[in-house]
Amino acid sequence: MNNFGVIEVASQKTKNAPGWAYVPDTGLTPAAAAALQPLNRKRAARDKANVGAPDLTARQDAKIRKDLEALDKDSHRDAQIPIPPKAGGTRAQNKHTPNVRKILQSQKTFANHLDDFQAFLALAESNPQLAAHVNKPTPTTTTTTATTTARNSPAPSTITTASSNKRSSAAPKRAAATAAAAAAGAKEEKGGSHKKLKTQPQPKAVAGSDDIEMADGPEATGETITPDSSEPFPPPRPDTPTSLEPSTTATPPPTTTEQPNIQSYPPDGTILPAYNRPPPTPHPGDDDPLLVSRVPPFPTDEELRALITAPPLSYLEARAQWTEEEEGRYPARRFCEVCGYWGRVKCIKCGARVCALECLEAHREECLVRYGL
Amino acid sequence: MTGRGGAKKSRAAGPAPPTTTLVLDNGADTIKAGFVSDDKSDGKPRIIPNCLARDRHRKIYVGSELEKCKDFSELAFRRPVEKGFIVNWEAQKEIWDREFFDDKAAQKCDPSDTRLILTEQPNSLPSLQTHCDQIVFEEYGFASYYRGLGPVFNAYRDIQSIFRTPQSTIDSPAQVILLIDSGYSHTTVTPILQGRPLHPAIRRLDVGGKLMTNYLTRLLSVRHFDMRNEPYIVNEMKEAVCYTSLDFKGDLEKTWKGTRGEKREDYLSGAGIAKDYVLPDSHTRFHGVVRDYEPGVSARARKGIVSTEDVLTLRNERFVVPELLFNPSDIGIRQPGIADLVKQSLLAVPIGLWPGLLANIVVVGGNSLSEGFCQRLQTEILKRFPDECRVRVARPEDPIISTWLGAANFAKHEHASKLEVTKQEYEEHGAAWVARKFAAGLGLDP
Repeated sequence: MNNFGVIEVASQKTKNAPGWAYVPDTGLTPAAAAALQPLNRKRAARDKANVGAPDLTARQDAKIRKDLEALDKDSHRDAQIPIPPKAGGTRAQNKHTPNVRKILQSQKTFANHLDDFQAFLALAESNPQLAAHVNKPTPTTTTTTATTTARNSPAPSTITTASSNKRSSAAPKRAAATAAAAAAGAKEEKGGSHKKLKTQPQPKAVAGSDDIEMADGPEATGETITPDSSEPFPPPRPDTPTSLEPSTTATPPPTTTEQPNIQSYPPDGTILPAYNRPPPTPHPGDDDPLLVSRVPPFPTDEELRALITAPPLSYLEARAQWTEEEEGRYPARRFCEVCGYWGRVKCIKCGARVCALECLEAHREECLVRYGL
Repeated sequence: MTGRGGAKKSRAAGPAPPTTTLVLDNGADTIKAGFVSDDKSDGKPRIIPNCLARDRHRKIYVGSELEKCKDFSELAFRRPVEKGFIVNWEAQKEIWDREFFDDKAAQKCDPSDTRLILTEQPNSLPSLQTHCDQIVFEEYGFASYYRGLGPVFNAYRDIQSIFRTPQSTIDSPAQVILLIDSGYSHTTVTPILQGRPLHPAIRRLDVGGKLMTNYLTRLLSVRHFDMRNEPYIVNEMKEAVCYTSLDFKGDLEKTWKGTRGEKREDYLSGAGIAKDYVLPDSHTRFHGVVRDYEPGVSARARKGIVSTEDVLTLRNERFVVPELLFNPSDIGIRQPGIADLVKQSLLAVPIGLWPGLLANIVVVGGNSLSEGFCQRLQTEILKRFPDECRVRVARPEDPIISTWLGAANFAKHEHASKLEVTKQEYEEHGAAWVARKFAAGLGLDP
């Protein structure tokens, strides 16, 4: 074909010439294409998909973050409200202990305290020796496990061994760190009233009493937390039909002292009309293998004991989060930013969602003000 | 062993144990306070706003003085409790002083002869707990003291009567409950076994009444008036009109105005959802009023016909706001909703406890007062668990003071004397010991 004398030469080289240029065909994925030929670094960064919410640009993401921070505030404007002077009689006592004075004068917010706590945890993880050193005068004992005083073992093994960040396995470390942090808090006061802190007599006191509590645990929990008194420690039952309790449609709450609560479910309840079923009185169909309900294996005594004596989670660990598989299982619902109906239309300019033309026009005014034409 | 023995001895040698107990549920929005003793007890706590408030004339109200305030416009707040935990002790001490310890205090109390039972939210920071203990003993000098998880105290209420279960004996503490506490700062799920919280299964969702009020403020500011300086008024409105939708999609459809030019019939008639809210004008009316939607009113207002009142027509604002508890992702919070919160919590306990926990779900806290909340929660939870599980969700009549009532029962229970720490013990063992003792809780003791 005569192409007006122009001979095309295939080459990998790209050239940003005015007009047009040959570029290598980089396939179909737009992300890969964008990576190979970024038009504009700024725009690429802005439009980069982020992990959690794939269809949001970085700019939208930042907006959401900012909005959430605003929603979390106590008041729209930072209100500095001083404490009003006493109207009537002045309080006589003005002498606080040093700790109290320190606490009262502290202007720390919750975020500050949280940062401190995290810094402490990080320190405990990276440098347990130093962390233990920070609160030397008080023993760092975990509430459940062995006693480890900072004084007589400079590198507490409970802290060093736990390295995983998983919720379950972090328990001993967390306990140690929490106790240590509490100790650190207690240490702030050292100058004041507590000459006893240094000469604290029983570092093992608590652990000792814990041991006792655990010692007299078995018979207590054994008699209180088994579902039926006939078998004190039912092992986890296999899921075979033979092990199914041919009882009723109503599964009694398993943690009962004795049997009486079988009849404790009423035939009806005004709060829960959905459960208006026949009461669990003997019924000819009870033995029908098709009708019996499956009773899950009751937890063993050890499981329950571990559960009850487990130390509290830290503030951040207790925050509910999506697990990886659940994250993004359902797409986030998007709403019209003007009227609150489903956001079915996206503004070309800023990506905001609106429901239909009327709201889009309302949105455009705002969009123009913000981003220009 | 030695620690215990020593404690007992010192207690015997010390002054007689206090007869009255001050039970304090120190919430972020309100304090619930009352006295409990063997012979006479407050049946209900006094509810004290836990804030310093400043009105537009720059007058400052502390705690219960807010009752004297008439004009709530542009009221600004300073709250000592942040995220559920007492952070600013300067302000908290001022409020406590005025309510409990001053000469003219409404609930006068002598700390040296009183036991204090104080609630706290789960998963607090150790430093904040230490501060709290130090203030209680070193500043006020309470004779003895217990600081316990607020949700757990609910186990000492008569739970089965909340479910209206006929029963012969009342278990105290309740054997097994799953407590959902949805308050001002956040929402927590706490499984409780025999009065002991199952710590590994406690989960928190950072959506609470404050966030919901702020969200309503934002919606109103976009669609109607700028209400950003009126937190009190918006909060009042939220409590008056918001409800939990049982059919979110359907309700949203009913409140949509339609495409351009088209006005849907449901929109014009209000479809039973739209409500008019008359804002306070701070001359004759100091509280807002809810009215049924009148189609003409807003149209007349738009035409400039002079009306003395400011009327807001609330449509999807009514149910979108409580919806945040169930779908926090609607505003981009990357956390599961309350029903998934329950699921995540239960995944942390053995499956054998599920039937018991699911059949005894108790909801407390102010957010649970929104209409339809329990029903919605129950349907959502049902969807997430096997069919055979019985799910019962109940809310006590008084969800706001429920924790206090439980704590009042706890004060009379033998567990209280087991868990409390006396001033003497504190002076002997120090704050760290106290913190550990409270963290250990009841342990496996019967």
